[in-house]
Amino acid sequence: MSYLLQYFILIPLIGFLFILFPSNKQEKFIFWTTIITISAHLLGTIAFIVFWGNNGFPVLFAKGPVLYAAETSEFSIDFYFDKVSAVYLLVSGILTFLVSIFSRYYMHREKGFKRFFNNLLFFFAGINVIVVSGNFETLFIGWEIIGITSFFLIAFYRDRYLPVKNALKVVSLYRLADIFLLLGIWLCHHVFEKSITFFDLYDLQAHHIDIIQQRSFQLVIPGVFLVVALIKSAQFPFSSWLPRAMEGPTTSSAIFYGSLSVHMGAFLLLRTYPFWEHNLIFKIVVIAFGLTTSLVATSISMVQSSVKTQIAYSSIAQIGIIFIEIALGFEYLALIHFAGNAFLRTYQLLVSPSVLNYLIHEQFFNFIPPQHTENNSFWGKLKVSLYILSIKEWNLDAMMYKFLWQPIKKVGNWFSFISARSIAFAFGPIYLLGLFFVYNKALVPTSIILYLPGLFAGLGLVMALRAFVERKNAMTAWLLIIMNQLFTSLSVAFNEQFDFEQIHIYLSGTIVAGLVGYLCLQRLKGEQESISLERFHGHSYERPRLTLLFMIASMGLSGFPISPTFIGEDLILGHIHHNQYLLTGLTALSLILDGLATFRIYARVFLGPNTKGYHEVAYRSS
Amino acid sequence: MANHTHAVKDRHSTSFDIHEVLHDLKHYLPSQTPLKDFIHHNSLHAFQELDFYSAIFKSSKIFGHQATFNVGEYRNLYKTGRIRIEILDKAIQDRKGIDGLPLWKERVLKQQYDSSFTPRIGQLRRFWKEAYHIDLDNLVQPLLFRILCSYLDQGIAIEHFPFENEGLLTAIRKLETNSFSSFFKTKRAKALLFDPTCTIESLLKMVVGDASFYTQYIFDQQFTHRGWSGMVSAIEDNPHSILYPKKISLEELLHFELLLELDNLDDQLGTNWTPLSSKVNVAPMDLFADVANTELEEVLKIWQDAFEWSYYDEVLAGVRYLSENPTTNSVQLPKSFQAIFCIDERECSLRRHVESSDTTSETYGCPGFFGVEFFFQPENGKFYEKLCPAPVTPQFLIKEYGVTEKHKHDLLYTKKTHTFLQGFLLSLSMGVWAVLRLFSNIFKPKMSPAISDAFSHMNMYGQLQVENKNPNDIENGLQLGFTVDQMVVRVEGLLRGIGLINDFAPLVYVVAHGSSSANNPHHGAHDCGACSGRPGATNARVFAFMANHPKVRAILSEKGLHIPDETQFVGAMHDTASDDIGYYDEDLLSVVNKLSHQQHKATFENALDLNAKERSRRFASIDTMKDIRKIRAAIRQRSVSMFEPRPELGHGTNALCFVGNRSLTKGLFLDRRAFMNSYDYRTDLDGKLLLNVMKPLPPVCGGINLEYYFSRIDNQKLGAGTKLPHNVMGLIGVSNSSDGDLRPGLPLQMIEVHDPVRLLILVEHYPEVVLNTIKVLPELYEWFANEWVHLLAIHPETNEFYFFKNGAFQVYNPIKKQVNVANDLQKLIESANEMKTNHIIDATKENLSIHVIQNNADRQ
Repeated sequence: MSYLLQYFILIPLIGFLFILFPSNKQEKFIFWTTIITISAHLLGTIAFIVFWGNNGFPVLFAKGPVLYAAETSEFSIDFYFDKVSAVYLLVSGILTFLVSIFSRYYMHREKGFKRFFNNLLFFFAGINVIVVSGNFETLFIGWEIIGITSFFLIAFYRDRYLPVKNALKVVSLYRLADIFLLLGIWLCHHVFEKSITFFDLYDLQAHHIDIIQQRSFQLVIPGVFLVVALIKSAQFPFSSWLPRAMEGPTTSSAIFYGSLSVHMGAFLLLRTYPFWEHNLIFKIVVIAFGLTTSLVATSISMVQSSVKTQIAYSSIAQIGIIFIEIALGFEYLALIHFAGNAFLRTYQLLVSPSVLNYLIHEQFFNFIPPQHTENNSFWGKLKVSLYILSIKEWNLDAMMYKFLWQPIKKVGNWFSFISARSIAFAFGPIYLLGLFFVYNKALVPTSIILYLPGLFAGLGLVMALRAFVERKNAMTAWLLIIMNQLFTSLSVAFNEQFDFEQIHIYLSGTIVAGLVGYLCLQRLKGEQESISLERFHGHSYERPRLTLLFMIASMGLSGFPISPTFIGEDLILGHIHHNQYLLTGLTALSLILDGLATFRIYARVFLGPNTKGYHEVAYRSS
Repeated sequence: MANHTHAVKDRHSTSFDIHEVLHDLKHYLPSQTPLKDFIHHNSLHAFQELDFYSAIFKSSKIFGHQATFNVGEYRNLYKTGRIRIEILDKAIQDRKGIDGLPLWKERVLKQQYDSSFTPRIGQLRRFWKEAYHIDLDNLVQPLLFRILCSYLDQGIAIEHFPFENEGLLTAIRKLETNSFSSFFKTKRAKALLFDPTCTIESLLKMVVGDASFYTQYIFDQQFTHRGWSGMVSAIEDNPHSILYPKKISLEELLHFELLLELDNLDDQLGTNWTPLSSKVNVAPMDLFADVANTELEEVLKIWQDAFEWSYYDEVLAGVRYLSENPTTNSVQLPKSFQAIFCIDERECSLRRHVESSDTTSETYGCPGFFGVEFFFQPENGKFYEKLCPAPVTPQFLIKEYGVTEKHKHDLLYTKKTHTFLQGFLLSLSMGVWAVLRLFSNIFKPKMSPAISDAFSHMNMYGQLQVENKNPNDIENGLQLGFTVDQMVVRVEGLLRGIGLINDFAPLVYVVAHGSSSANNPHHGAHDCGACSGRPGATNARVFAFMANHPKVRAILSEKGLHIPDETQFVGAMHDTASDDIGYYDEDLLSVVNKLSHQQHKATFENALDLNAKERSRRFASIDTMKDIRKIRAAIRQRSVSMFEPRPELGHGTNALCFVGNRSLTKGLFLDRRAFMNSYDYRTDLDGKLLLNVMKPLPPVCGGINLEYYFSRIDNQKLGAGTKLPHNVMGLIGVSNSSDGDLRPGLPLQMIEVHDPVRLLILVEHYPEVVLNTIKVLPELYEWFANEWVHLLAIHPETNEFYFFKNGAFQVYNPIKKQVNVANDLQKLIESANEMKTNHIIDATKENLSIHVIQNNADRQ
């Protein structure tokens, strides 16, 4: 029956393809296609689970299509199914079903009606990919789908400033998580010397006990995955993105950030549990994070005077407790808690507009003016301090900027001397020179070759940093990103006896996406439109099609799954040896930064308020 | 108003005076009060002393909002026929003369205009970004909004703002002294918080520098978050607009915001930076200086005139047709019953259906507080609620007693899910329940405590203490109930005003209205505007009590207003969302009246069915062709559906206000777009009563109309935008994001059906009487003279139309000579189009044109 698993992914994908084509006005067709898809999926899930239960809840594994295979590495779509999958599948099926029906009239006549259902189904497909994935590579695909749909749904009202700003904020953290996930895959690949599947993890203890108990790995491997889980589930210290993600329609906030999307961190933790099943120190680390999160988030939630933010932090607090439950080995409790929290928060968010009426009514009949007493004692002061800290969300939002992005910005600004001209006249020739020697390695002394990967990775990173801080010209930034990828591939090419085919896969993605994006920007420029990165331009208002095209190019360039760039990214990391931490670091950082820079260009040029005076534009603060 | 204009003009001749600036600032900020009550008002009230077009274009230049549709949109409306060619020609001629027609027609139809402009607001503060590379708004606003919201919060947060009873600044000072942490990042700003010599001016000196920039800076700053500033200002002026009053003032907000700005500037720039004016290379600007008139504006005026008159002209053609082809419109004696409704345009269709369901019935319209103004205290309620138009301050209190029903709770709304341990237990246990509730909310919506229920405002079976027998019965300065004499004044005033002075039917229904809706923070905007945005059931019941009072009747008889003994008044309320009517005190009816009441109830039910069907044509969730009973059930379900952002469409499409006999409009299909105030000029030839009838119309109906106009024209800047992402803040307002500004105005879902045309008030009386009447009160006259509301007199004898323009009435003859005739109203409704998108080009197609209803085919 494991061959059935692929249908969990295929059904929503087919539905998604169907509703890509109708116009926004065809609400009935869009809605019914969505609801038939999800109903079929939900019924299938229930039937499957009953059948599976009858067979005694076996763990299922299926090998899927191989996308790429070589001696050392293999990239295949695998499937895996266990109790965790079953619960997640069922909960997400029920919630997506209910929220879709809720959205039918809720979203009626919204400009983004179609966009909403497109994203909902694609997101649902992504969830399914994660939940039934059989290896990290497959899981990563789902992960990216969730990330990208999240970006689109946060920036759903793309002609306002705050949604776009916050979408960028969230997607930046997501990108960080994604690259950590890639690092995790890279680590596993090297440590276990093959692409490992979740089925392998299942009996990890039996076969690889020596490896996972090895000192250097017992914290690093699960640690990398923990970072991913912390970000995705908005745990401490990454919590502040969650309330800021609630920019879309209430229904999408409910299903994404109230329930399904945020619980994916817990899912990853459950999946990677075999890595640290007997690792007491790591368990304490997880518990510490979970406990800190739930205490901090509760304190913030209790002072919140805006209803969605309050629910967001309550949800975070409960997920913190779920983390603790997982660490303590209470898998069943964690799953029940997940389901309960997801259902409850979805409901609370969906009906959140009605609290105004409900609580005012309560106040009207039950209000007792609170007593105010001044307490100057130590405890009184502590309480007030806690209040102030909680109002400020424990400075979490400011800290993300201060400790994460600002240092990168600072370093990036060292390279602000690099201009479009210097790319053409200095870095272009360097690259071509490098390219020449890759094909003629014999001409280079071995002692020098040793340093070339690091050199080129470093140059690539410089390009990425420079692109990240480019604040003026979108075209320059775009070219820098392309240059970054060219240099990155060069560094790998020097790293070992490399397979040109792999680099070509990577570069084909980069070049096609890069060219398409370049032409889009060129076209805007040709039509006398500004493409500076100093502010948002909102060209999507007048050019929705060009926006779509550029978005696809951006996804290609930033290595969205299934794009050749992505497979390339995976392969390229695969070519870095496990002791080359510097090279790994440089490459990973490059990947993070070029993703951020790409999304930034897309957002600045195509999203945000279009201020041409002849139509309504919201104030910046609204 | 006059004083104010003076103050604005003189701003630059005198030195900076913070109180003057605050006064001006308050004048221009949005004045919407917390959302629990929704009072419609002119969104650009600050510019009301100017004429309409000057005002909207000036405001647009200053604040950057749209004032009208853009030229392209008008041209498309012209292409689709919504703007008629002959009306456009007339609109051009009216402004440019017959000689100007060819030139201006060319301009109006073909000329390309550059519509881009930079608003005046924000031109000073942009230098923070341009010269200092600091995004000050992003640094200050999230924390500032959070503090304001937490301070004003009415019950979302579990932890109260410490020291919230002491005023904003004092509370913050106490917080800072009693804590180990701080809102401030740097020392200087924190020290200044406690410095008694620190004033707004001294802070401005540090932040802005040059004093000539102060005023502009303050406006720039406060208008980056007009929602919050407006809310603070509104609460400062009406502390009781929130149930848990908080001391706060705009001055404190300004002071605190400047401290936060200073704090962030110190944090970003270190200690060594010079104030803003040192890096500004432009001169200070007078934001409110006159703006130059442009050709584009002239073109837009012509277009908007033509847009409005294309509609008015059709209405007038219909009214003319009725007067020229009188049918046996007048109701035959004896009358079965009379019903007094609110003037609200949503009752326009219900009145039509009641009259057609029982042709011997008669309906009237008057403002829905029925002339009785008071505070109401429901049993166990801790507060009073004002039930009369917003500007009135009542001296009376009506208390409810004898309620046995308990106030219901909903456990899923408990705040305990946000705490640590209980949150853990509840999220484990309530999840399944929540999902089941979601199932039932979606597939079987029904009334619940979380839904705003118009009928829960006053208990159906409770008692009211209406009569005051001892004038010393006073509670908090309010007299408990009305004395007989006070009742007489009110009953007589209302009945004479609407011209109901003889031919009383045995039953007179006094039908208030309210609206039930689910998941809707703007529910107050659907209730009765004449009752301060609340359901008006109590007023209906109080009025019925007064009119039934034997002593009141006796005195009225002496005054020549004889109400037969067998006549009884019945209070009732129409739920405009669910299309239900509830009746009060039915057990007080005489045996005979009880019997006929049962029949009339059936009439009302029938009319409600028809009304539901008429409304359903605009609702995507209902097929208008369905069985009428099913439509009615579906309408009822919408009002309790959590997923329905349009439980009803409120005042959308309102455009007309008739003051006169029902015969003016009876037989005309006005598509629920007309306020209708009954008035009989024959009983008031010298216009003595007319003033009181007309006085509330511009502020109430005109206020509604203009709020819809502006929310429609610029839903982003003057409206609240789409309601789907709204986040309830502190139970006082909505914002879009966790860090966003409050959004005053109407949400998109309420205004999509609205055609932004100004209100046309049509009064049936001699033009000279109308003119004299409006001239009595300058503030009333201003509305018409400045064209915020249009006025037209219908000569009662000649039926000639007189349009009020430039201070005088001029004859207007409808250009349209033909009228649309509907033989079957049901068919007309069934065949109506549904808008394809909510863009005006498509949306306006949903509005049906004026039809003369030829026979009574809509009778069931």
